[in-house]
Amino acid sequence: MKKIAISFVLSFLVAVVSYAQLDRTQFPKSGPAPEIKIGEAETFTLDNGLKVFVVKNDKLPRVSFTLVLERDPLLEGDKAGLTGFVGEMMTSGTTNRTKDQLDEEVDFIGASLSASSTSIFASSLKKHQAKVLELMADVLYNPVFPQEELDKLRKQSLTSLASSKDDPGAISSRLTNAIMFGKDHPYGEVETEETINNITVADIKNYYETFFKPNIAYLAIVGDMDKSEAEKVVNEYFAAWKPGEVPTFTYETPKRPETSVVGLVDRSSSVQTNINIVQPVELQIGDEDYISSRLVNQILGGGSSSRLFMNLREDKGYTYGAYSSISSDKLIGRISANAAVRTEVTDSAVVQFIYELDRLVKSGVTEEELEKAKSNLAGSFGRSLESPSTIANFALNTERYNLPKDYYATYLQKMNSYTVEDINKAAVDLIQPDKMYITAVGNGSEIKEKLAQFGEVRMFTNMGDPAKEIQMTDASMTASKVIESYIQAIGGEEAVKAIKAAKLLMKADVMGNAVEIAMTFDDANMRFGQKTIVMGNVMQSSTMMDGKGVVSAGGQTIDMTDEQYEEAKMNALFIPEAHYEVLGYSMELDGIKDVEGTPAYKVIISNPSGAKVINYYAVDSGLKIKNENEKSGDTFYSDYQEKNGVLVPMSWTMKSPMLPVPLEAKIESLEINPTLTETDFK
Amino acid sequence: MRKITALGIIAGMLSVPALAQKKIEFKEFDLDNGLHVIMHQDQSTPIVVTSVLYHVGSKNENPERTGFAHFFEHLMFEGSENIERGQYMNIIQGRGGTLNAYTSNDITYYYESLPSNELELALYMESERMLHSKVDETGVETQREVVKEERRQRYENQPYGTILPETLKRAYSQHPYQWAPIGSMEHLNAASIEEFQQFYKDFYVPNNATLTIAGDIDYAQTEAWVKKYFSEIPMGKKEIYRPNVREPKKTEEIRDVIYDNIQIPAVIQAYNLPPKTDADSYALSMLSTYLTGGASSLMTKELVDKQQKALVVAAIPLELEDGGIFIMYSIANMGVEPKDLETEIDKLIKQVQDEGLSDQDFTKLKNIMENNIVSSNSSMAGIAENLAEAHAIYGDANYINKVMDAYSKVTKEDIQRVAKEYLNLNGRVVLYYLPKAQQPAQ
Repeated sequence: MKKIAISFVLSFLVAVVSYAQLDRTQFPKSGPAPEIKIGEAETFTLDNGLKVFVVKNDKLPRVSFTLVLERDPLLEGDKAGLTGFVGEMMTSGTTNRTKDQLDEEVDFIGASLSASSTSIFASSLKKHQAKVLELMADVLYNPVFPQEELDKLRKQSLTSLASSKDDPGAISSRLTNAIMFGKDHPYGEVETEETINNITVADIKNYYETFFKPNIAYLAIVGDMDKSEAEKVVNEYFAAWKPGEVPTFTYETPKRPETSVVGLVDRSSSVQTNINIVQPVELQIGDEDYISSRLVNQILGGGSSSRLFMNLREDKGYTYGAYSSISSDKLIGRISANAAVRTEVTDSAVVQFIYELDRLVKSGVTEEELEKAKSNLAGSFGRSLESPSTIANFALNTERYNLPKDYYATYLQKMNSYTVEDINKAAVDLIQPDKMYITAVGNGSEIKEKLAQFGEVRMFTNMGDPAKEIQMTDASMTASKVIESYIQAIGGEEAVKAIKAAKLLMKADVMGNAVEIAMTFDDANMRFGQKTIVMGNVMQSSTMMDGKGVVSAGGQTIDMTDEQYEEAKMNALFIPEAHYEVLGYSMELDGIKDVEGTPAYKVIISNPSGAKVINYYAVDSGLKIKNENEKSGDTFYSDYQEKNGVLVPMSWTMKSPMLPVPLEAKIESLEINPTLTETDFK
Repeated sequence: MRKITALGIIAGMLSVPALAQKKIEFKEFDLDNGLHVIMHQDQSTPIVVTSVLYHVGSKNENPERTGFAHFFEHLMFEGSENIERGQYMNIIQGRGGTLNAYTSNDITYYYESLPSNELELALYMESERMLHSKVDETGVETQREVVKEERRQRYENQPYGTILPETLKRAYSQHPYQWAPIGSMEHLNAASIEEFQQFYKDFYVPNNATLTIAGDIDYAQTEAWVKKYFSEIPMGKKEIYRPNVREPKKTEEIRDVIYDNIQIPAVIQAYNLPPKTDADSYALSMLSTYLTGGASSLMTKELVDKQQKALVVAAIPLELEDGGIFIMYSIANMGVEPKDLETEIDKLIKQVQDEGLSDQDFTKLKNIMENNIVSSNSSMAGIAENLAEAHAIYGDANYINKVMDAYSKVTKEDIQRVAKEYLNLNGRVVLYYLPKAQQPAQ
């Protein structure tokens, strides 16, 4: 018994020991790096020149067809924006199907079909492949480019262009492109209302006829299809595609500046500065520095454990995130380091960006950083292989960039072979920290001077055009003189004084909804009434009379405080300029600014309690062209017409963060000096 | 020759109704401590996804301590006895991986995707989390702040962000589904460290977990490593608390107005659903796709394109173990009264209830569902998650291979029937989300 007991205890001990052998303080080591088997794409070429890649993957009964055109980048000039319309227009109906029919047939088989100016993509379950190919081929051969679809797209495009003019991210992207590549380069040109309005159906048709040619096209087939079946279906659907000569284009290579320069867009309402420090770089896939550039970027600012993030966010708290990128491109690539930072720390943040760029180039990277970057990139390379389209991309790139056949098969091997010295050399080859374009979109009056330490400051407009730096030639100009000349310009003191009241109705269209704004001004008795009506419903109204103001919205009415009343009053007069002096407002002239291309005097008007509005008066005409105020945003005035001897702006464009798109209102009716009763203000 | 052709055609016809799903192979085993393990081998890419599903969600919480399950999702990244605080993510990322987690009313799910030579690391990390995760004051304090920020970002600062909690609160009077996973900040603030530790001991135990490994693996080696790291983890001492509450059928509509920081009103309607495993779930899911799935769906076409009364309309079946809710939400176009929008939505629901759907629409619906199901198993992460859920909720990992069949059994009449049976106007919740500016003064 005892023996058994002992052996039992022993075996128990042994068992305990064997468990205890697991030393949990040691992390398991990595196993031998797995061999990355990259599926081979099979290829064949049709007589018309169409090159086909087939990546068979029958894990799932799906198949996708991606048609890609390889053409040179285009300078679209006075039709900038054209290529952006081509894809949607291609799928907007064919000679066989209206747009609705096409949508319904695609949805009916649970498929996808889309296009761009250089591609058509279709995918579906295997069993619907014939149908989806039929639809794809129909779009490729028979698009009709309906005028009404172009009109719709144009409208959408103009709407988004309008809102992008006030979007700091969009402004920053236009600025960097323009400053780095110039507006005469495909990557630097900018879409404007004018260029978008220039685009015709004939242009799109002409583009289609010029560039949709099999001899510049690749077709990648990925999924449940082998080469022999691919040959059959490709011949069936794409052999009839007629080849043709396609024009080629070359461009001058953009240069880096001799020394760093600063590009600034003044957006006075900004509380943050969008900093983007950029430089063009000649880099494409397959170049000697390509793989090392991935590692350099990963260490500099590729992720949330990279240097820029650790410095600007974790250490300094200047921003929510700071990143970098090094892009490769056949024509020209770019290096970019960017963050959105609080206005006050704009210059400090630029100092840190430059410090990190310098440190990378001068002191290089550490062994530990390099190892981490390698694991990180190898991991995401491995994960990307899960998607069969990655293999198709590899095959495409191998062809497009004329890469060695085993370029991707040995990609990780090559990456792992890089030493600290290699990466340090690549950093020096790629980046020149003293030849950067340092761009900023932010409050110019707060940041312009502070940025001068980094290089010559060039001012740009929100469309990426050089802003006219306007010197005040007449040093004796004052705010009161500007106001005087405005009164003169609209008709003279006599005529202005004769205007005591006005009643007007404005109409606008916001994303298809009719908006009406009714306003009644009684300047002589300081009464004001305003109503905003959307599709027949009063959305909001305000009334000011007897020294009191109320605002109503959605059935709720709020009384203004005295302070709010005084502030609202600043914008509640039909011709406020005639009353500034009497009301005890102070005025300050803040130079000449560029307002959408027109030089204008900027006058800051403050009431006794410190509330401000800012008006801009055109230098040449003397007319008021813009009003800025914190509460209601920006209003632009144009189309001045004479009414009762006074010029009145008939077109008001309002922009505010509260509005999804700028509101373009036109005065539909205007009565000067009408007889008014109290009900007119309610 | 002719005969063969005819045969071919017949064979072709026969093969049409069979839906396109390929079988997903897997192996399973259990450890003595109750841990259930599912392995799926796929050697096409050298990656491996490792996941642990803990069968605990907000419904398992003490009504006085809501938000615990979700809070643990955060706490479980704090580290363990051997993993330094805050290092969990860095270790995984440093070996080339990514990771994430989520919490629902029913489950908490953790996963990491790594190069396949890091499987042992992944298993070690998950076993550390299950064996002796750090549940201490420092971690709780840190994560309380993070969860507060998450609340602000996702609920309080997010227009319409409170739709789910506000709807659940009214859709359930008895069942613990009445609170959302984010729970209550007051409860989390009031909880003692002992309560957190007890929750860990109660629910983060192997007998309440499903470990799933999918990717480029060797079955035998994987099993050996699983045993090496997970065998010593003790089984939970208590029976796992699972609420046994039947939500009574509502007979009266609940109607309310929520004032939120929004510009445009929204209309929310919610209908109680049968348990997730109920056969009617498939028809209900198809119904939601018929109503709002895609540009050519019934409500999107009618309300967004034609009438332009809604900016967006969506029907989402929130399927839950004990019976979830069918949420319809729509945001009104500018100047459209919520009442007007609601009337139009109700008209369309009534249309489906009275007239059903056309053969053409039904075929289209089947095609869309088929494509969706096939695509849900297109990645290792998707397969791991579907296998884990199949085991934990449906009680059978092979359910993953039966989903398509279940859908193919749904008839056109079923869809009309479930629309009538479950979209019951008298038992629903209706919420109007209105801009705060419209709130009448108190």
